[in-house]
This record gives sequence, C-alpha cells and structure tokens, in this order.
Amino acid sequence: MTAFVVYLLTIAGIYGIMSLSLSLQYGQTGLVNFGQIGLFMVGAYASAALTVVAGWPIILGAIAGVAAAALFGVLMALPIGDLRQDYWAIATLAAAELIRVVFLNATLGDPYVGASYGVSGIPSPLLELIPDGSYGWFYLALVGLCAAGCYGVVIWACRSPFGRVLKSLREGGDEVAQALGKEVRRARISAMALGGAIAGLGGVLFAHYIGYIDPTYFLPLETFLVWAMVILGGSGNHLGALGGALIIQIINNGTRFLNLPDQFAALRMVLIGVLIILVILYMPKGLIPERRRRYGGRNAARR
Amino acid sequence: MLLAVENISKRFGGLVALDNVSLTVRQGSIFGLVGPNGSGKTTLVNLISGFLRPTRGRVLFEGKEIQNRAPDQIARTGLCRTFQITLNPQRMTVMENMLLGATAQYGERIIAAALRPGRVRQQEQQNLQRAWELLEMVHLERHADEYAGSLSGGQKKLLALVQVLMAEPHLILLDEPVAGVNPRLIEDIVKVIVQLREQGHTFLVIEHNMQVVRRMCDEICVLDMGQVLAQGEPEEVLARDDVLRAYISAGGDIAQAGDPDAAPTETTP
Repeated sequence: MTAFVVYLLTIAGIYGIMSLSLSLQYGQTGLVNFGQIGLFMVGAYASAALTVVAGWPIILGAIAGVAAAALFGVLMALPIGDLRQDYWAIATLAAAELIRVVFLNATLGDPYVGASYGVSGIPSPLLELIPDGSYGWFYLALVGLCAAGCYGVVIWACRSPFGRVLKSLREGGDEVAQALGKEVRRARISAMALGGAIAGLGGVLFAHYIGYIDPTYFLPLETFLVWAMVILGGSGNHLGALGGALIIQIINNGTRFLNLPDQFAALRMVLIGVLIILVILYMPKGLIPERRRRYGGRNAARR
Repeated sequence: MLLAVENISKRFGGLVALDNVSLTVRQGSIFGLVGPNGSGKTTLVNLISGFLRPTRGRVLFEGKEIQNRAPDQIARTGLCRTFQITLNPQRMTVMENMLLGATAQYGERIIAAALRPGRVRQQEQQNLQRAWELLEMVHLERHADEYAGSLSGGQKKLLALVQVLMAEPHLILLDEPVAGVNPRLIEDIVKVIVQLREQGHTFLVIEHNMQVVRRMCDEICVLDMGQVLAQGEPEEVLARDDVLRAYISAGGDIAQAGDPDAAPTETTP
C-alpha cells in the first residue's frame, strides 16, 4: 500500500508539473493549448531515445528532452502566434496528434525500437546508488524537487514584466497590448517555449520513471486530464494547478482499491467530467482563485 | 512638424473611407478631429497608429514614414493611442495596467529578465514611482489595487490616458476621451489634457462634444464623408455654414455645440 501511495504521489507530481505548464499557458496567457500532451511526449521520447538508442547519459538526455519540448512549443506557436483562442485549440490539438502519429510510425535506429513497439529499458537515474526498496521514495523526492523548481520558475515568470504582458494577452485585447508597444507574437511564442520546457521536464521524469513508453501513453485524453487539473485547481493560480493534479490523479488512480467490477473503470472519466461541470457551474474560479497582486500605498513603494 | 498626414486615401472594397486627407499636427498643441459619424475619423486614427494600412499616401511622424510599420513598432517610436471603447485588461489591477504601459522594459523579454534581475527590479521601481505620480494626478491612487474592470466609465477613460503617459509618448491619439462620461468627470479629463499640453505634450483628439473641442483644441479638422471639409481654429471653423450643414445632414450632434448638458451621461454604478 505504501508503495502505491508513493507511486500515486510521483505520478501526481509529474502531472503537477504538466498542469503548472498549462497554468502558465492558459491561466496566465490565455492560450488554449489542447496539445499539451504533445509537449510531454516530445520530452519523454527525446530523452528515452537518446539514452536508450544513442547511449547518452541520463542527465544529457533529460536536458535534450527539455530543450526539444521547448522547441516543439515554439514550433506549435509559430504559425498561430497572431491568432485567437479558438484557432489555438484546433491547431494545438492537431499538432499533438501529428507528433504522436509520427512516433507511432517511426522506428528509432532499430527495427524493434520506436513505432508501436515503443521504447523499453529506459534507464533510471542513480539506480545503483539507492538502497533496495527505497528507490520509489528517491524518485518521489526527485519529482517533488522538480515540481517545486517549476513552481518557482512559473511564479517568477508571472510576476515579472514578461508575465504582465502575458496577462494582458489573456485579457483579450491584442490591440491594447500592441498600442502599448508590446510584441504580442513574440510574447506568445516565449510563453510556449517556457511552457514546453516545463511540460518536457514532466515527460522526461515520466519516461525514466515508468521505464517504457509507447504512443498509447500520449492520447488526447491525457491533455484533457491536465485541463481538468487546471480548471479544478483554479485557472490563474499555480498552487491550485498542483492541487488539482493531486485530486484528479487520486480519482484516476486511487479508485482501483474500491474493488468495483471492471465495467466501472470507465466511470472514473465520467466522475472527472461531472466534477469539472460542477466546478465550472458553482466555483468558476476553481478551488484556489487567482490572487490579485497588491502594491499597497505609494509609501509602500518607497520603502 | 510632429505629425504630417499626406494625401491619405483608404478604400474598403468599393467604399472610400478616406479620400486624399492631409493634415499636420504641431508640437505642443491639441489638434481636434471632428465630423459626423462615419466621416472617417477613427479610420484615420487607425491608419496613423498602424492598425490599418493606407491605400495611398504617407504618414510622417518626426520626419519618418510610418504608414507601413506595425502598431507596436509605432507605439515604441513614441506615438501612442487610446481606444474609443476602453479595452484595458479588465482582470488586471489599475497598477498592473499602469506598469504595463511603460515601454522599453528589459523584463518583458524572458531571457533578459532572467539574466539581469537587478536591472529589471530597478526599472520596475522607477516605473512604479512614475505610476503613483500619474495616478495621483488623476485621483485614481486609491483604486490602484482594484481591477480595472471595476472602475466607472469615466475612470476607465482616465486610466487609459495615464496608462499611455507611462510610455512617455511624443504624440498621443485620443479616440473620444470624454464620450459616455458624466459632466463633472468631463471637466477633470479636460483639465488633465490641457495641463499636459502646458507641460509640452501633443495630442490628436477625436471628439464629438463641441463644448470640449472649443475649450481645449488649438486647431481642428472637420472630416465629412472621408474628405477634409475645413481646417483651422475651432471658433472660426465651427461657425462655418458648410460645417453646420454637414452635421445637420448627417443627423449629427452639433446640438452639443451650445449645450454642455446635452453630452451623453453615464449612469454611475
């Protein structure tokens, strides 16, 4: 049971990193990214392929995974940088499916690596140094550290002048931002690069934790799980995104101990769907609403 | 000449929105753009600020051609505008809106923000200082931490005005700065604009309220059906018969010329 709780918390942490990334993209910037899982997949595949096939050290594979996902975020944003939310939804959904189908068909260096065979034997970091039986705890700590780091980065970015420009884009008026001299396209692309890097880190952690990945892990459904996390937690509040990830993962993974007949498994998705509808109806700001940044009085500024 | 519009024409398909319009705005003046609804005033402002491209003609700002530049580029060269309907980010506080207004912020590029945190913080402090000064000027300092969306219509207009000032512009385009504002607040807005001119700021203002136009404009240009009908000092131009006729035939609001109370009023929330 303890092992399962550790597993659950690790997966929740990895998805927490994903929902922090979406919280930056959607909560702060208003980018409707329905291809979130694509960023995660690129991170996972890049690191897995480089460590398994090319034999890179894990740390270099991880860095490459993060960089590749950031690059994929930029590529996603490039053609649609000037467009509005509805176009973003379609284009990003398509981009994530495209990359998934590419990985479903492309073998990676060996006829039985990649494609629908997936990538197996992905190495775990520092496995030989950790005493038997406590590796799960070690990995949980690693994921927790990464999540805390990502949280810090997202908070820093959102509080910076850069984050202010992102928020002005969310509030709908490209015209106002442009009339104030802001480069809106550049800001959107930067947000996708940072969001991509964070989601990519999630993907890297996922690949090296599970040890095996194939394209079925990266279906569009996963994107909507991440959306559920952000909406439930409170769009625009990054702590909420982490909390939402934990709750959704408890529902998604923790219900397997209820000993219900198999045909109830699909009900988890129904439960999550109903929960989201209730949140949107009765708590549109989510569990932890976005907080206003207060500047106090003028004297507070002088201090 | 700070701004020169030279023989500008703009067509939308078969519709000629502007036909060979020329005007010049002097440094340190308030230039009024008036005319009945649909006469092309907002189109002209959109052309000058880069949101539209002219079919023909040139726009010179500080001697440089700007008619083919993007709106954000034009704003960064010191030509800033406000909008007829205030479009300010609603779920950002008044202070966040103000800080957004400052141009040339290092911290707006994420890599620069990461590499030079000290410089970003210093700049932020300076901008904050300036923002407080401007908010005090228009008596909005008590609302600094409120969402812009919760301000009254008139306060939103004031916010849009001082937000633009954060960019330290050389020329400010105001699209109907007092439309829909209650008469007492109109006074305040006019006072602020006149006071800013005394400090050397230059304005190009679209305004329907003739009382306001008479009080603050040094020079006006009357547009009618996309053409310049008259140009010159307000009293002189507004007394002309053809100007009056243009307004009356368009069912315009010349009635406001003699009657300040006819200004549309806002319902205070």
